[in-house]
Amino acid sequence: MSLILCIAALSLLVVGCSGPTFQGWSGFAASDGVLCFGGIDGKVYAISPTARSQTLTFPAQDEWVFSIPSLGTPGAICGPACAPASPGTSIYATPVVLGDLIYVGVYAGDNGKMIAINRLAPGYTEGVPLRSKGEWTYPSGVKSIGAIVGSPVVVDETLYAGSSDGKLYALDALYGEKKWEFDTGGKIWTSPVIEGGVIYVSNFDRKLFAVSGADGTLIWQTELSSSIASSPAVSGDNVFLGTFDNHLYAIDKANGKVKWNFEGGNWFWSTPVVKDSTVYAGCLDNKIYAIDAGTGRELWQFVAAGPIVSTPVLANNLIVVASQAGDIYVIDSGTGNLVQSIHIGSPVMAPLLVEENMLYVHAGNLCVYGIDFQNGEKVWEFCYSSIE
Amino acid sequence: MVDIWNTIILEPVLNSLIALTNVLGGSFGLAIIVLTVVVRLALFPLTVRQTQSTKAMQTLQPKIQELQKKYGKNQQKLQQEMMKLYKEAGINPLGCLWPMLIQLPIWIALYQSIMQALAATPESLLSLSQHLYSWAAVSHAIPLGDKFLWLNLSRPDPNLILAILVGGTMWVQQKMVTPPATDPRQRSMTNMTTTMMPLMFGLFTLSFPSGLALYWVVSNVIGIVIQYFVSGGWGYLRTPSAPKPVPIPTQKVIPAPKAPEVQPSKTLQKATEESKAIKKASEEKKRGLFGR
Repeated sequence: MSLILCIAALSLLVVGCSGPTFQGWSGFAASDGVLCFGGIDGKVYAISPTARSQTLTFPAQDEWVFSIPSLGTPGAICGPACAPASPGTSIYATPVVLGDLIYVGVYAGDNGKMIAINRLAPGYTEGVPLRSKGEWTYPSGVKSIGAIVGSPVVVDETLYAGSSDGKLYALDALYGEKKWEFDTGGKIWTSPVIEGGVIYVSNFDRKLFAVSGADGTLIWQTELSSSIASSPAVSGDNVFLGTFDNHLYAIDKANGKVKWNFEGGNWFWSTPVVKDSTVYAGCLDNKIYAIDAGTGRELWQFVAAGPIVSTPVLANNLIVVASQAGDIYVIDSGTGNLVQSIHIGSPVMAPLLVEENMLYVHAGNLCVYGIDFQNGEKVWEFCYSSIE
Repeated sequence: MVDIWNTIILEPVLNSLIALTNVLGGSFGLAIIVLTVVVRLALFPLTVRQTQSTKAMQTLQPKIQELQKKYGKNQQKLQQEMMKLYKEAGINPLGCLWPMLIQLPIWIALYQSIMQALAATPESLLSLSQHLYSWAAVSHAIPLGDKFLWLNLSRPDPNLILAILVGGTMWVQQKMVTPPATDPRQRSMTNMTTTMMPLMFGLFTLSFPSGLALYWVVSNVIGIVIQYFVSGGWGYLRTPSAPKPVPIPTQKVIPAPKAPEVQPSKTLQKATEESKAIKKASEEKKRGLFGR
């Protein structure tokens, strides 16, 4: 009896201390030939595809690495008796660039922060932003807001970001001061989308909100039957988003009324993309669906080897999709036929980026790949796990 | 193997827990309590059998010790005599083990379900999506609210309240079933089990999601209640100190080529009678509990 209890206790210790972890899956912000992204190790990297293709030693010119200042919540899940199972901070949000600044949303368990870094050369000293370089953090000092998962958006020098504390923040992008906040009442793990001065934002409390971009006043809100983890996509008169009840919804952006819904085999987590009256939605049932934006009718479906978490990307008449099983698929967007498949061998959950013929992939093995997606050739790879 | 485990054991428990949360107005804490009670009630016959087997085994301890003294150097003979003793008393020595072995996977599944359902990080929520049924009650409940009383169920309890409750209830439960040992070595081992385990679990509570600690407290309390009614009281919790060692016959036993018929001493006879009485009483109680 005592032996069984001892084994149970030790098992609990092992399982508990290596329990829920967070890693992050940031995509890329491209500017002036440099890619910026948040690493799984909680650092921000700026890499030059040119330098990487020449296999120059990191950091080459224009390249840098920056450690996110600690928010003082080691491990977040683990308590005082355990060593932290995750780095103190992580980055899920894809950074955005405006002028000389790059904006990064930080996830640290219960806490989060929005930080602005000088993208030419970070000036932070011991975690304190260098004001002369335009850098700031929100909130400033040791204060924090809820953890940030969804990517921020910058429009007209205003930065909009949703937080796990349920609030949508509008910040002055140059000085980091709060312009207004809008409390949605439920965790926001999605990115807001802005169209015609209106912000559309979804939350875990099953609601989609349309909020005035100018002052944060509510225009309308609509409640769906399940929680929403997919960021909305706006096209024409509709807002498209997926929910935890396995449905993709088309909602009238003028009044929030549901026009149609489409049922998949699992949650729609990734953000849908829309082109030429077709909605392309990746689903956790391993499929990508092409759906008629006007009627909700399925046009085609493609079955991948694993769940689709990453937001797909369109390039001319092709759609590029990554699966959690570690494969990239280049698919004809009109027919759903496979054109090319590339094996990465590690889960891909970060949004993809396409520039001309190059596809940039941030994989779960702490590596970034530059791939010519027309011929499927891996042009370069950059693994940052060994960088000090 | 992992897939079989997930399909047969983990997913039914996990989905029931989430659906129950929806039924109980979105309170995950209440769902943990209700599911723990339901599972313990479903396993009640096994728990009763285990408790009775353990108690019957304990009554034979003086006799077993006597046999160990007698046949300590002849393991084969000792095993034979012990089996004979169990047979005479009508006890299966593995009787207290297999109910525990059957219950263990269900406890592990319940533990895993609580950890998975809490899904505090984006990765764990994605992982959860692969184990859910397409029931409306499940999709409506996700993601689960993690507030219950003063607790955030996905985080450790910052107060000591839950740690004290876990440690305290575990100590009471252990104390109720652990007989005071006569042998000093065994006594220190017993003391370590009854004191160290509650202390360790109390410490774990400071590090684990409080949803899991809530499950430990409820499970321990139900265990105490079952123990109280099945054994008819507080068991060894009320025993002030260790009993005096059982008198061992002083005459020297000379090993013979053929083992002599063991003449049961008064202690042995008493122990056998006691174990038989317990078995008889348990049969009657079982009939009373589950009908004839």
